[in-house]
Amino acid sequence: MGRYWEIASTWIIILTAGIAAWSLAAATLPVPAYFLPPPAAVLSGFVELTTKGMLPTYIGESLRRILLAAVIGLFVGVPIGLTLGISRRIADFAYPVLNFFQSVSGIAWLPLMLVWFGFGERTILIAVNYTVFFPVIFNALLGVRSVPQIYVNALRTLGASRWRIVRDVLVPGALPNIAMGVRLGLAYGWRALIAAEILVGANGLGFMIFNAQAFHLTARIMLGMAIIGALWVILDYFLLRPLEEATIARWGMVQR
Amino acid sequence: MTAKITIRGLGHEYVNPFTRERVLALDGVDLDVEEGEFLTVVGPSGCGKTTLLNILAGLLPKSRGTVLLDGREVTGPGPDRGVVFQEFAIMPWRTVEKNIAHGLEIQRIPREKRAAIVRRFVELVGLRGFERKYPHELSGGMKQRVAVARTLAANPEVMLMDEPFASVDSQTRITLQEELNAIAQATRKTILFVTHNVEEAVFLGDRCCVLSGRPGRVKALVPVKIPRERRRWKLLMSDATFDAAKEQVFGLVREEVNVGREG
Repeated sequence: MGRYWEIASTWIIILTAGIAAWSLAAATLPVPAYFLPPPAAVLSGFVELTTKGMLPTYIGESLRRILLAAVIGLFVGVPIGLTLGISRRIADFAYPVLNFFQSVSGIAWLPLMLVWFGFGERTILIAVNYTVFFPVIFNALLGVRSVPQIYVNALRTLGASRWRIVRDVLVPGALPNIAMGVRLGLAYGWRALIAAEILVGANGLGFMIFNAQAFHLTARIMLGMAIIGALWVILDYFLLRPLEEATIARWGMVQR
Repeated sequence: MTAKITIRGLGHEYVNPFTRERVLALDGVDLDVEEGEFLTVVGPSGCGKTTLLNILAGLLPKSRGTVLLDGREVTGPGPDRGVVFQEFAIMPWRTVEKNIAHGLEIQRIPREKRAAIVRRFVELVGLRGFERKYPHELSGGMKQRVAVARTLAANPEVMLMDEPFASVDSQTRITLQEELNAIAQATRKTILFVTHNVEEAVFLGDRCCVLSGRPGRVKALVPVKIPRERRRWKLLMSDATFDAAKEQVFGLVREEVNVGREG
C-alpha cells in the first residue's frame, strides 16, 4: 500500500507540474490559440462533447470495435495458433505465409480494403482484426512449443490420450504466452483501429481527431489523443491484468 | 516368485543429431524384476540408466531385444507403469489435490471415489493441509511427494523412478528415502529406481543392479538382505550387512568409472 501511494503521489506531482507548465506556455508563447490551446480548453472540450453526447458515442463505437476484435482474436486466433503449435506439419506449411502477411501491416492493407470493402464498418473491422490476429497466433504457437516435454511425458505415462494432453498440458502451459499475445494484439489493434477510423471517417475516436483537424479544433485533437491513451491504460489495467492475475500469476508462471 | 518385468537382450542405439555419430547406449541387457521387488539401478554417469527407464516407461523405442511386463510386450507408455521423474513433472496450473487426482481423472474414476483415493495418498505422503496449494508454493521435497502420490494414486503395476531425489537438498533426501521405504513396505509395489547415488541404491533396494559404463550392461546384481522395517538411517549407521553391500556396490561402480577413464 505504501508503495502504491508513493507511485500515485509522484504521478500527481508530475502531472500537476506538467499541466501548469503547459498552461503557462499557452498563455505566454506568441502563437495563435489553435497552435497550442491551454489545458482548460481541452477540459471544456471534454465537458462540451460529453454533454452533447458525441464523445460517449465515439468512445462506445471504438470500444465496441476493439472488444469485438478481442473476442474474435480469442475464439479464432488462439485456436489457430494452438493448432499450429501442436502440429509441426501444419506449422511448417503455414509459417511462411503467415510470416509474409504479418509483415504487411493492417494499415498497409487499408487502401486496398477501402476499394474492396468501402468506406465503412466492414473495412475498419477487417483491418483491426487482421492486426490483432498475428500476435495472437504467433504467441499461442510459441506458447505450445515452450511447454516442457517433461509435462507431456508425465501425462503420457498416466495413460492420457492426445486430446487429453492438449487440454490438460498444452493449452494451460501455453496460457502465459496466449495472454501476452492477446495483450500485444489488442495494443496493436487499438492503434490500427484509430488509423482505420481516420481513413474511413465514419465515427469513433480516430474520426473525431481527424475531423477536428479540418476545423483547426486543436483542443479537440488533444482531447481525443488523451482519451485514446487513457482508455487503453484502463482497458489493460482493469480487464487484461486481472485476467492474468487470476490464472497464470496464481500458478506462479509469471514473475511479478 | 514370478518376474513382473522381463528384459532380454535389450539394446538401444541413437544417432547424435549434430555429429551423426551412432552411440550405443545399452547393449545386451538381461534383467528380471520380481513381483513386489524394489530394484535399484546404479552405474556411472552416461551408462544408460535413464535410457533403460525410459524404454520401460515406453517413452523411448528400443533398438533390439524384448521388454515384457506380466508377459506382454511393452510398446508405448501406459497407466500400468507409473513414472516419477527427476524434474518434479507436476502441473503448475493444478493444485496439489488436482495433480494427485490427474491419473484418476484420465481413468475416468467417479468424483467421489477419486476424492477418497486422493485423500488417502495425501495422507500417505504427508501433505495434509496443502491440498489447495499450487506447486510453486511448495518446496522441492513436497513437489516430489506430490509426484509420488500422483503415481501411486493411479495404481500402476510397477513404479519407475528416475533419480527422483537428485534435485532436493540432502536433509530432505534422507527423509524422502525413509518415506519411500515405508511406502514400499505399505503398498508392496514393484519399484524400479534409478540413481547415481550408491548409498541410496543400497538403502532402498532389495537388490541393487550395477550397470557397466557405456554401452550399459548388467554388470552385477547385489542383494541387500535388510528387512524394510530396519531400513532407517539411524539404525543403519553401523550395520554390517548395509556396510558390506555398500562396499561391494561402491567397488563395482568404481571399476566402471576407472574403465571409462582408461578408455
